[in-house]
Amino acid sequence: MARDPKYDILFEPIQLGPKTMKNRFYQIPHCNGFGSEKPMSQAYFRAMKAEGGYGACCTEYCSIHPESDDTHRVSARLWDDDDVKNLGLMCDMLHDHGALAAAELWYGGPHAPCMESRAVPRGPSQIPSDFEHLTYAKEMDKDDIREVQGFYVEAAKRARDAGFDIVYVYGSHSYLPQQFLTPYYNKRTDEYGGSLENRARFWRETIEQVKAAVGDDCAIAVRMSTDMFMGEAGTQLERDCLPFVQLVDDIVDVWDINVSGISEWGEDATPSRFYPSGRLLPWQKAVKDVSKKPVLGVGRFTSPDLMLEAINGGSLDIIATCRPSISDPFLPLKIDEGRLDDIRECIGCNICISRWEIGGPPLICTQNATAGEEYRRGWHPEKFDPATNADNDVLVVGAGPAGMECAMVLGKRGMRRVHLVEAADDMGGIMRWIPQLPGLGEWARVVNYRKIQIDKLKNVEFIPNTELDADGVRSYGAEIVVVATGGYWATDGLNGATHDTIPGADASKPNILTPEQIMRDGKEVPGNRVVIIDNDGYYMGVSLAEKLAMDGKQVTIMTHLGHIAPYMDFTLEGPNMHRRLHQLKVEIVTHQVPTQIANGGLTSAYAYDEEHLTEWEADAVVLVTQRRSNEALYRELKDKIGAAALQSEGITGFYRIGDCEAPRLTADCVFSGHRLAREIDSDNPDVPLPFKRERAVVEREAVLA
Amino acid sequence: MKIVVAVKQVAALGDEVEFTEDERDVDPDYLDFALNEWDTYATEEALRLCEASGDGEVVIVSVGDEDAEDAMRRCLAMGADRGIRIESEERLDPIQVARALAEVVQAESPDLVFAGVQSADAVQAATGTALAELLGLPRVAVVTKMELGDGKATVNRELEGGLVDVLEVETPALLTIQTGINEPRYATLRAIKQAEEKEIDVRQPSDLGTPAYEVTKMFVPPKGEGAEMLNGSAADVAQRIKEIVEECTA
Repeated sequence: MARDPKYDILFEPIQLGPKTMKNRFYQIPHCNGFGSEKPMSQAYFRAMKAEGGYGACCTEYCSIHPESDDTHRVSARLWDDDDVKNLGLMCDMLHDHGALAAAELWYGGPHAPCMESRAVPRGPSQIPSDFEHLTYAKEMDKDDIREVQGFYVEAAKRARDAGFDIVYVYGSHSYLPQQFLTPYYNKRTDEYGGSLENRARFWRETIEQVKAAVGDDCAIAVRMSTDMFMGEAGTQLERDCLPFVQLVDDIVDVWDINVSGISEWGEDATPSRFYPSGRLLPWQKAVKDVSKKPVLGVGRFTSPDLMLEAINGGSLDIIATCRPSISDPFLPLKIDEGRLDDIRECIGCNICISRWEIGGPPLICTQNATAGEEYRRGWHPEKFDPATNADNDVLVVGAGPAGMECAMVLGKRGMRRVHLVEAADDMGGIMRWIPQLPGLGEWARVVNYRKIQIDKLKNVEFIPNTELDADGVRSYGAEIVVVATGGYWATDGLNGATHDTIPGADASKPNILTPEQIMRDGKEVPGNRVVIIDNDGYYMGVSLAEKLAMDGKQVTIMTHLGHIAPYMDFTLEGPNMHRRLHQLKVEIVTHQVPTQIANGGLTSAYAYDEEHLTEWEADAVVLVTQRRSNEALYRELKDKIGAAALQSEGITGFYRIGDCEAPRLTADCVFSGHRLAREIDSDNPDVPLPFKRERAVVEREAVLA
Repeated sequence: MKIVVAVKQVAALGDEVEFTEDERDVDPDYLDFALNEWDTYATEEALRLCEASGDGEVVIVSVGDEDAEDAMRRCLAMGADRGIRIESEERLDPIQVARALAEVVQAESPDLVFAGVQSADAVQAATGTALAELLGLPRVAVVTKMELGDGKATVNRELEGGLVDVLEVETPALLTIQTGINEPRYATLRAIKQAEEKEIDVRQPSDLGTPAYEVTKMFVPPKGEGAEMLNGSAADVAQRIKEIVEECTA
């Protein structure tokens, strides 16, 4: 199909200083866990987006010096010539696809804990980081300022030598240049503090020096947060940012505009739970109104119509995407080819970001199982090798996220016939009811995308309303059987805190409920007082608390942990989730372990003193304690019928995926289904093939000689 | 109990359409082929009646080239017993199709003959009725429910506006079956494989006569002009409609 001409403007070239970008699709700087030390993974990951039509792709934050070392988290680095070599590969691969390469030069100041380099970071004032524990900066004197500006210049030259076309002087997310601009960080009384002119001085001088060093060869980009949402202390749009834009507009080639500081950067990388796409447009437009230079910015854009609106509405010149480019690296190409229903839209769950927050394992994506696997497993999101055993028929039992993904990929790999058989009347499994939790509507995209793809695949047939038992599977006529029957929330209070059930917990009683009973089965939550027992620590407990409080219940959420829903701090949902629960008057109880549930309430013990018991009144108790695999069908097939009997029916391959194997993140369920389908023709598809590891391998003889 | 079900492999348009060089048909490269949806329900209804009778045979008949056997195999995979395909690579009109079917169906002397109400591609709803005429059978069209009695059947016929006509018809009879009359079963992989082994008898048609019509040109209708899209709030739209009415009646 051809591109709809209304989207033509998205494909017009644009000049950025000395460089021309071929279209308006820009991959914003974002982390992936690869940095400069997994250079192959880094290059293949970014190049996939260039192949998918992006006009420019950026590194993640790219450290300019060992003083800006974010270990335990993983950043890119341009510290020396070897880093130039490593990141140079990324530049070359981007250029091969006609895309520009950008480097986001970064100095973290007090936020960089320097756990690997053990260097001392420098900052405008000596106040410990509001983001990282126990890190102080050395307060910069004038010599320090000159020296650090010199680091920027040297790193910019290395970036140019590596082949980068766009070089940032990055401030957003409360890093050094923005620290100077912001009273919250800058308490100086010299010419680098106080008035706006003084607070802007460090950033302005640094931009000038970088421009003088590489400006003939590279476009100079400035990334600025235009509102930290911290009142007077934080950066403010009108007071600080718009004057700053006017001050340096002549020496900047492109503006990258966002909001927030670092400690609540979920206001920038907004979870769909709290913000719709395009939420930053008012700030971006404010900058565009005063600047003569192109403005780019994020907004979790997945809809080409919203992209158009951003450009035609005078808010942006270039559509920057982070999470939508992870979810679908081929977003631009699909718009170009008029294949809008093939776009794998980001769901805004922020599971990608959670990995950086955890400390830098490779990123993952709920929607795109191939994200991060481009090099190490050789997976391409849009290309699928025909399976060598494609003459087999496959039965996939269960159409949840894992089963749908598996059936879809098997279909794309050309298996003769794939039957996706589901007990319910439609596809989706748990993703049919989870999106009905407050704020999670966009998560249904997990189902929508796969449903559309499966519908297009002639060799994949979806069969609803059909619950297969072991005999049904055995006689179904497939050569390969994949069991994807999902999981369920424990009905007896079994949990990871005590490794035991909770006495009195029995969800067959009317006053004790599990998440599925409430959300899927319509079981009524009796009475007014509800206690939710949350040993899970992610979104389920707090989402139910929000829902039940909105339904008018008086809700207490109790956890054995010291903090409610700790995983939501990694996904940046934590702060606003807390605000929401506070607003709804949900009582949060930590460090309590339930010991007995009875009619009318429960008893709990303090986690560090089991003698210290507390009684809680409750008309209903909700068990969010742990999940279990729904493995009855698998066990019957494996243990009662057995591999030999299955073999005699012609079933040569028999596997399970997703929650049915072990409950896990939806991203990991999707991965599980994808992985099996990618390797369905390997010697033993049950065991994942080894992936390529980027590590130094010792040359023993040379060392010992 | 023997029931003959007449089915058709229909074509569905993809996202893009190109026409053949003579501009009289859609280029088959741009078509997806499948069993006509109505025929799935007709097959299911036949299977249910035969299963209820405990002793029956469902025979699938279709007119078309070898590719049409894909649609017939879907019916065989659902459980139909055998198929008869009347070879034809020509584009036939519904009367010709009915003539081709009539000879074969006559020879089977079925207790009932089913066809879908219409085909999803041609949408003429004529073949079933024409076939009844040629066979000299009573015919009921757009059947949404049926109960079989002794030498007769009580059937519901769907009428306009949600009305239902309940009537009795003597059997043998020809019924054209509406979607929704039942919930068609899915075929297991085993049934699909077994269907590959089932017999499809191929017959050559005798003289089918000349077509009652022929397609001279197929094209995408040109876009009309003069449409005005009314946007804005309900009040804005209402106001604009009022103005238009006033302009037209002034």
